[in-house]
Amino acid sequence: MATRLGKGVLAAMAAGLAALASPAGAQPKTEITLARFFGSCEADYGTNTDLSRARGECGVITTLVNKFNAENKEGITVKPQVIEWGPYYQQLTSRIAARDIPAIAVMHTAQIGDFIRARIVEPVDADLKAAGIEPSEFTPNARNGVTVDGKVYALPWDTHSWLWHINVGLFKQAGLVDEAGEPRIPKTVDEMLAQAAQMREKTGKPYAVMATTGSGDTANGARSFYSWLYDQGGSIFPGGFDKADLRTPEALASFSVFEKLAQANAITKGLDQSGAIGTFMNGGAAVWFTGTWRIDDMLAAAAKPGSPLAEGYTVRVFPSLFTKESVWTDNHSWVLLRGGSAKPEVRKAAQTFLKFMWDNNLAWSRAGHLPARAAVLDEYAKLPLRQYVVGIPQIGRSLPHEARRQFGFQAMIGEEIVSVINAGKTAQAAADAAQERSEPLLRGR
Amino acid sequence: MSGAADVLAPGAAARPVAAASAAGVGRPSLLNLLFVLPYVMLMLGLVAVPVGFGLWLSFQDYDMLGGWNGSVGLANYVNLLSDRIFQGAVRNTLLFVAMTVPAFVGLGLFLALALNDGLRRSAVLRSVFFGSSVLSVTVVTLIWRLVYMPERGLLGTVLGAFGLPEVNLVADERLALLSVVIVTLWWIIGLPMTLFLAALQQIPREIYEAAALDNAGRARTLWSITLPSLKRTILLVAVIEAILQFQIFGQVLLITGGGPNNASRPVVQFIYEAGFRDWQLGFAAAASQVLFLLMLLAALGQLWLGRRQDRG
Amino acid sequence: MHGRRTLGDHLVLAAVVLLAAIWVAPIAWIVGLSFKPNDELMRSTGHLLSPPFTLKNYADILGASSVFAWMLNSAVVAVGQTVLTLAVASAAGYGFARTSFPGKPVLFALTLAAFAVPEQAIIVPLHTLFAEADLHNTYAALILPRLAFPFGVLLMTQYFKAIPAEIEEAALLDNASRFKVFWRIALPLSLPAQATLGIYTFLHAWNDYFWPLVSATKPEMYTLTVGLASMQTNFAQTEGIGFLMAQAVFAGLPVLVLYLFFQRHIVTAVAGGAAK
Repeated sequence: MATRLGKGVLAAMAAGLAALASPAGAQPKTEITLARFFGSCEADYGTNTDLSRARGECGVITTLVNKFNAENKEGITVKPQVIEWGPYYQQLTSRIAARDIPAIAVMHTAQIGDFIRARIVEPVDADLKAAGIEPSEFTPNARNGVTVDGKVYALPWDTHSWLWHINVGLFKQAGLVDEAGEPRIPKTVDEMLAQAAQMREKTGKPYAVMATTGSGDTANGARSFYSWLYDQGGSIFPGGFDKADLRTPEALASFSVFEKLAQANAITKGLDQSGAIGTFMNGGAAVWFTGTWRIDDMLAAAAKPGSPLAEGYTVRVFPSLFTKESVWTDNHSWVLLRGGSAKPEVRKAAQTFLKFMWDNNLAWSRAGHLPARAAVLDEYAKLPLRQYVVGIPQIGRSLPHEARRQFGFQAMIGEEIVSVINAGKTAQAAADAAQERSEPLLRGR
Repeated sequence: MSGAADVLAPGAAARPVAAASAAGVGRPSLLNLLFVLPYVMLMLGLVAVPVGFGLWLSFQDYDMLGGWNGSVGLANYVNLLSDRIFQGAVRNTLLFVAMTVPAFVGLGLFLALALNDGLRRSAVLRSVFFGSSVLSVTVVTLIWRLVYMPERGLLGTVLGAFGLPEVNLVADERLALLSVVIVTLWWIIGLPMTLFLAALQQIPREIYEAAALDNAGRARTLWSITLPSLKRTILLVAVIEAILQFQIFGQVLLITGGGPNNASRPVVQFIYEAGFRDWQLGFAAAASQVLFLLMLLAALGQLWLGRRQDRG
Repeated sequence: MHGRRTLGDHLVLAAVVLLAAIWVAPIAWIVGLSFKPNDELMRSTGHLLSPPFTLKNYADILGASSVFAWMLNSAVVAVGQTVLTLAVASAAGYGFARTSFPGKPVLFALTLAAFAVPEQAIIVPLHTLFAEADLHNTYAALILPRLAFPFGVLLMTQYFKAIPAEIEEAALLDNASRFKVFWRIALPLSLPAQATLGIYTFLHAWNDYFWPLVSATKPEMYTLTVGLASMQTNFAQTEGIGFLMAQAVFAGLPVLVLYLFFQRHIVTAVAGGAAK
């Protein structure tokens, strides 16, 4: 067999190159690896352990790990391995295939089903128990996210969702505010397009801004698509999870919203994440389609003297333009990967770290997300702008764990929407292409 | 010697083995095998075995995390041929090669001809054009993402200064591939330019002197002396660049990500995504075989073209 | 060749200078960006030449960036691969060019065939094989796959063949061993070809992307290409454009300086592949 010969030859060569093999010396203290995205901000928070100084997702997560490393009494060092969010799951898969398995990894609960089916993610009921964390402390939304067939597979970390971040100043200039000075939120696609026309006429600015060219940006279109689909009571799996249907009237209507926005020149084209942030922060567009994770960043930006957002910055749950109030949600969660913490002391350390994280769940939600811990929800609601988003768990929807390749679907649907926005593809053509592309996605097991 | 040019023409390379003097080659000895043994081991283990294993994989259902799940016959290939994203990837790759290879030959030749003198100015300009070749692909893409960045990018700023409207190359379906072509040219024009410069130095001065005596004009000298002498080098550059550009990956992944509307996704990116994003190693291996075949056909075509011109 | 400067000459010169400006401008631009505060770049990149300037982006690299570690990995891989490739290819090239042994025609034909195998097309099986052998995330895994470099062997074979055989024959008649002849006589004569192959290999290893991307998955094993790529997908979420550009400058500078220092040799060596 080719593999065996290959293995033999490789092993011989590896022996020859033993001197070059990477140093992998044992550590005297227990070290656990933590794979995550959320960005890296070592320059600003490299040594910071003061949670009150940390801002945004990156600042908070970096500070939490620093704090744990500085303060834990068990001699545990958590080593963060930061992977960018766009290629995160490709990289995680490569790592697992390369037998380089991190002890703890962040994972979207939309992803967890595939990893459970591949037997990479295992139940953590026993670990939570050992750490002193009760699943009854989870919010119902978070519990749903991490539970499959009655077993808990991860420590939930938040509920995150899709929002409109609004430049109130531009809404005022365009005459789109009510008596109280709050932005009027459209209730139908036509109302939104009318507002967009008025925005363009009065301010010269586009209505909406959304990142479309970076490697993780496809998710943006997909989250909007799902939100509008759920607003119509639609689904991409109307006939079971073995076959997707992306050409239902509801799906088509969802694609069409982007077609109409693009045709009306009401949404920015060709911006990457950095360009989108820059545009919104500089007052270059009225509404930014992005998630809960940007709330703290934008509050910080709006507070700076001379900020174009100084006239008013607010958020709303991604508004329904159809019949129902619904929105896409997902959860970040911490999973223990099979083989990543085989040694008992590593497992124990991982449990200790999870407990620490759980105790600091509120600190994380300062970045914007809803906490996964029910007990701190009231505290969360008191944070700025959070009154607009606390209702998300009641209307939030996500695909059930039985739906396979959710990440592939997100990337694929998002890519089609990017084509609608940037390349003028029609909604119908996007739906047809998405339908065709869904088949190979579900072809594997 | 004519070095790499012969290397790339198997027939020419094989010839001198027989022609070498008997004493030079000496009696056959098993001991002499030791010279080539390390290389042969490496070649077998790291080229031959993977090629065979890849071919086998392409007929299997092999999940990156779930492991082997039996043979599927030709299914991977059948699925591949009807996959529009793959069809697009093949089209993009061919287009990319068709745009870059002539550009490398043309621009490389132009620069070499323009800078082939002893002036200090030319020496400085030569290092300018070669200098970017030593930057790694990620540094190059970092630079160019900032150049192409909408609103705050260098391109937009420069166009704006001339009162021209901004063009967003990266986000435009018709221009995305071109944006990658520009980056690739900027990055590694140095190699073809240098190869042409070296070849120009080889043309015997006497030929030019004879031409001057004949009162041949510059254009005619270029056309009837310089270019014919460079024929082998032109072929060499075309083959090297075709081999390199068929395998384009990093620049695209980091600049356009393959979009918009699949307008710039090359075959290697397709392989990467099928294998490492969708975990379907068998499918990815089948796509690899198609790439292999395409490159083989292209190389044979170029060699055939080169031979025909040699004869003509 | 020594005619008066014509209009055509001026046009060509103008075109070349314009092109040179296009080649230099992007680099100058990002060097400029790297000295600006991130906050300002978030708003506008239009005021590169007016204050405020800052050195913070570079100071941050010293304090926090992994760029150092990545550069070290890249250097180990590129140097290791270059040295080993030279050793392997020179020996094999000499063997094919000058000696006779059983199976030589077959092995040479195999080499020619291997030359036609595109390296990106065997990454999937290679990755699986290395995973089976548990070799990923080692320098060995980063170096090994590129050591089987048929182009290098063919290049060296050609070069050794072009060296007149008489010198070696004399030594062989003096009963020197084959290896001694190779080591003492042939190898020193092949230095120009070694330089050509060495620079090709070094640049190739230094710029390699796909293989390190899937093989070096541990952040501490990243090479420079993979490490920098991991930062650029969402730079807004990281420390900002200025910091990212400072890292690009920092990562590009050493090779650029090295190049400017050795440029005469490098250009000659690269050209050596085409003609001598």
